[in-house]
Amino acid sequence: MATTTTDTDPAQAQGTDSPVSRPSDRLTHDDYRELLLQLYLARYFDVRLIKEKKRGRLRGTLYSSHNQEAILVGSLYGLEPMDWISPIHRDMPAFFLKDFKAGWENPDRMGMSIEEVCSQVWGKATSPGRARDNWSHIGSKAKRIIHSTSMLAGTIPAATGVTLADRLNGLNTIAMTFNGEGSTAQGVFHEAINFAAVEKLPVVTIIENNQWAYGTPTHYEYALEDFARRADGYGIPGFVADGQDVIDVYDKVMMAVEHARSGKGPSIVECKTFRAYGHGDHDDDRADRYRPEEEVVEGRKRDPLHVLKERMISMGILTQEEADKHPAENKGAGEVTDADFPPKVVEYLTKGVQFAIKAPLPDETEGAMWVFKED
Amino acid sequence: MAATAVGTEKKNYLTALKEAIAEEMARNPHMICMGEDIGALGGAFGVTDGLIAEYGRERVYDMPISEATIVGTACGLCLNGKTVMVEMQFIDFISCGFDQIVNMTATYHYRTAGDVSMPMVIRGPAGAYGGGALYHSQMNEAWFANSPGLKIVCPSTVYDAKGLMKAALRDPNPVIFYEIKDLYRRREIEEVLPEEDYIVPLGKARVAREGDAITIVSYGQNVYHCLKAAENLESEGYQAEVIDIRSIVPLDEETIIESLKKTNRLLVVNEAPMTCGFAGEILSRMTEKAFEYLDAPPMRITRMDTPVPWVKPLELYVLPSVEKITAGALKLIKY
Repeated sequence: MATTTTDTDPAQAQGTDSPVSRPSDRLTHDDYRELLLQLYLARYFDVRLIKEKKRGRLRGTLYSSHNQEAILVGSLYGLEPMDWISPIHRDMPAFFLKDFKAGWENPDRMGMSIEEVCSQVWGKATSPGRARDNWSHIGSKAKRIIHSTSMLAGTIPAATGVTLADRLNGLNTIAMTFNGEGSTAQGVFHEAINFAAVEKLPVVTIIENNQWAYGTPTHYEYALEDFARRADGYGIPGFVADGQDVIDVYDKVMMAVEHARSGKGPSIVECKTFRAYGHGDHDDDRADRYRPEEEVVEGRKRDPLHVLKERMISMGILTQEEADKHPAENKGAGEVTDADFPPKVVEYLTKGVQFAIKAPLPDETEGAMWVFKED
Repeated sequence: MAATAVGTEKKNYLTALKEAIAEEMARNPHMICMGEDIGALGGAFGVTDGLIAEYGRERVYDMPISEATIVGTACGLCLNGKTVMVEMQFIDFISCGFDQIVNMTATYHYRTAGDVSMPMVIRGPAGAYGGGALYHSQMNEAWFANSPGLKIVCPSTVYDAKGLMKAALRDPNPVIFYEIKDLYRRREIEEVLPEEDYIVPLGKARVAREGDAITIVSYGQNVYHCLKAAENLESEGYQAEVIDIRSIVPLDEETIIESLKKTNRLLVVNEAPMTCGFAGEILSRMTEKAFEYLDAPPMRITRMDTPVPWVKPLELYVLPSVEKITAGALKLIKY
C-alpha cells in the first residue's frame, strides 16, 4: 500500500522534517489577490441571494455556502480548463468559479457565466438546464460540469465514468467531486471510490466536513476523528485541510490533483469547516433546535476572508488599510451591505441578477418535453 | 438476393444475444461493456463470451459487485460520448443500482433539456419457471415503466432477441433489456437468422398467432404459455390471437387496438405480480382507448402478489399457466 498516506502535513507525507515545497509556493501575489476577490465574490453571491430570497424574489430552497467558500475557491483554483467538476447543493458558486482564471467575462472559459447561473437561480429559460430542475441541479457537458442531483454522492460514479472515457480517448484530465460529510455514509460513495481506486481513475473527492448533515452531527454519521483516514481502506491517499484557509485547501487539493494527474489514482481531501446557517434557508430559524448556540459562535470564528487577509498581511501582499476597506468578514447576511465588498464583485453579480430578472420563463409545454431523445 | 439471405444453422436465443452484442461492439468503436464476471468467464451465462479476448480491458470491464457504481460509471461514460452495455448478472440485482438508473440515468435527457443523452443498455437474465427462487426469477419491469425516460424491452423469439438488442444498442435512450433465461438454450425455439444486419424496432408488437375469438396479450416466456393455450382453444373451436408486445415502453397500442376491433375480447398475461404490474397498465389503456370494441370485461392473469417461491409446485402455483390462461380465455369468450 505504497500510496497510502493519511497526512495532515505535507512534510510528514514525504517522510522528512526538512522544509518541503508546497503547491502554494508557486502562487504569485496576483494569485493571492485573485483568490481574495473570488472569496469575496462567493460570499457576495451567497448574501445577495439570501437577501433576494427574503424579498420573496426566488423560489426553492437556498443552501448557503457561507463560511465554506475557501473550499470551493481553493479547490477549483488549480484545475485545468478541461478537468471535470461535480458540485452539489451548497456549491452554487462553483458553477461560475470553474476556470475563472481564464477571465471572469471570458465567454470561452470552461465554466458557466454569471448570467447562466443567475438564470438558474431565478428559474428562467436562459438557465443551462432551462430551469427544469431546481437550484444547483445544473451542469454542462460542454463545460465539463457534471449535473448535480439530490442524490448526494450519487455523481461520484459519473465522475469515474467521465474520466474513464477521457482516458480511453487519450486525455489526461481529472474529475473533482464535492460532497458533504453526510453523503459519505451512502453506499455509492464507497462503491465509486473503491472502483476508482481499483482502476486508478483520477477522481479527487472533496469532503466539505461542515459538522452537520442537515440536523445530524458527525458523531452520528461516522466513528472516525479524521474522516480522511477512510482513504486507507481504499488503498488511496487521504488529506486533511483547514477548510477556513484557502491556501491550505489549495495545497492539499493540489497534492491530490497532482497524484491523480500523474496516473496514481484517486484520493480524498477532507476540508474541515462549519456550516454557518441551517441546512437550507427553510430551517435557518429552526437550526437552534439541534445546534447549540456556542457551537455556532465557535464554528463561525474563523471567517475564510479574515484568514486569507491575515495571511496576505503577514506576507506583505496586503496592508491593514486595504484589508479594512471592504470588511465583509465576520458579518451575517443581514448585516453586510454592498459597501463591504469590492465594487468589481458587486458589479459582476449585479449584471447576472439583472439579466436573470429580465429573462423569460420557459414555455409551459417544455414540462412535457425531452423525456426521450428522438432519433 | 442479399436482403433475404439467411444462414443455414439454427441458433438459440443466447447465441442471438451474443451475436448482437459482438456485432455492435465491432460496429461502434465507442461502445463499452461493463458487468460482473463478464470478462474471462464471459458472464454467468456466457452472453459476453469472447468479448474480452477480442477487445481487451479497454472496452470490456469486469466490475466489482457494485451495481450502483456500474450503472453510475456507465452514466458518466455516456455523458462523455460512449455507448455502454451493462450486464446485470441477474435482473433481480438491478435493485442495487436502482437510484442510479431512475434518478441519474433516466432523467438525464430531461433535466438537461435534451443536451445530454444516455445510450445505455442494461440487460440481464430474467423470469421465473426455472426454480430460481426469490432472487433469480424476477420480472421487475414495472418499477422502470413507472420511471419516465427508460425504454423497456423483452424478446421472446431468437429473431427478436438479436434484432431488439441491436436496436437497443443503437438507441440514444437508456433501455432495460429483459432476457428470458429459460429461453437461452431452449431447443424448440431455435431459428435460422438472417446473415445480414437487421434490427427489430423498439415499440412494435408482433402478432404471434392470428385469430378472431379473443386477443391474448403477453411478452417474454408467457408468450409460449399463451400459444399453448391457443392450441387448447382451437381444439374447442376458437381461434385466439396472441400478441407479443416485445416492447413494454414504448407500448404499441395500435396493434392491440386493431386486434380488439376484430376479437372484442382482451386477456393480458404477465408473470410479474398483479398489483401495479404492466398487465394492469395494458388493461387501463385499452379500457380508455378501445372500450367500445369490448364485448367482455378485460381480464388479466398474472403471478399472485407474492415473491417467486423455490420448489416447483409452489412456483407453478403462483405463476400463470397454460391451464389458467385457457380457462380465463374461455370465460371471456363465453361471456
